[in-house]
Amino acid sequence: MKDLLRLKTSLNEEIEAILNAQIKMEAHASSVYLAMSAWCDDQGYDASATFFSEQSEEERKHMMKLFNYVNDRGGKAISPEITNIPADFESFRSVFEEMLEQEMHVTQQFNIIADKCIKLKDFVTFQFIQWFLEEQIEEEYVARRILEMFDVIGEEGMGRWEIDKHIPKVKYEG
Amino acid sequence: MVCPLANFEEVFKTEHGAVYQCSRQNCYWLDFAGATTAFKVNDFFNFKKRIDAIDLSAMIIDPSRTADFTIVMPFRTPRCYVLDINGVLNLRELLDGAKFMIELNSVVSACLQVTSHGA
Repeated sequence: MKDLLRLKTSLNEEIEAILNAQIKMEAHASSVYLAMSAWCDDQGYDASATFFSEQSEEERKHMMKLFNYVNDRGGKAISPEITNIPADFESFRSVFEEMLEQEMHVTQQFNIIADKCIKLKDFVTFQFIQWFLEEQIEEEYVARRILEMFDVIGEEGMGRWEIDKHIPKVKYEG
Repeated sequence: MVCPLANFEEVFKTEHGAVYQCSRQNCYWLDFAGATTAFKVNDFFNFKKRIDAIDLSAMIIDPSRTADFTIVMPFRTPRCYVLDINGVLNLRELLDGAKFMIELNSVVSACLQVTSHGA
């Protein structure tokens, strides 16, 4: 009998579902960064507001990369519904702590996807996921480096102003 | 009535209905509740997801008369299914079996390709 399933899609159902879940997670991360950007702007941390705005845009690009991949492989990408985005944050430092936690969670999810790809022998998706795993090294590095600045510079006096000023300079050289 | 142009093979059959594959038009035909309906591959699997998502517990617990039935109108078909609990269970059994056979066919095809290329 003709294999109609593979004519339509090269994606396994489980892989499609887990990629769609990741699309939702990237969209959520993008929205959270936008909320962080608004909060920083409101608090007068201009450089951080720009930093989070750029992070938000980057997460959206990640989402679209996954979205297009699912469609290109014959799957059905689902435009995600995003809810529960915080509007307020405890402190300047806590914003970056949440950033690091979020990035670590994203890394964990990509590890789970990679594991699933190996189990299901989907090496094409496994290869595609490598880019995201490498990207996560940078994301986590930047968040950790910024958090270290809170300890190195200190928050007293003009500390937070100084930290904010240095945030755009934090880069991962690889 | 199944399309006269269809070149169909039986995928799965129960006493309540059957699913056929038309390899000429690349679609599946669902024969259920006295009617036949053609589904494209994606539509067929989406329809199965909708049937799987019906909350049977809510239908059983809810005492209102309207809760005894659920209406499912698959996209891009002229069909409207009015299903009671038995109908949902029968349809699920049919679609589960069909999905299994479609996936099995896919796995077998992949294995045969590997074998023939390896030979």
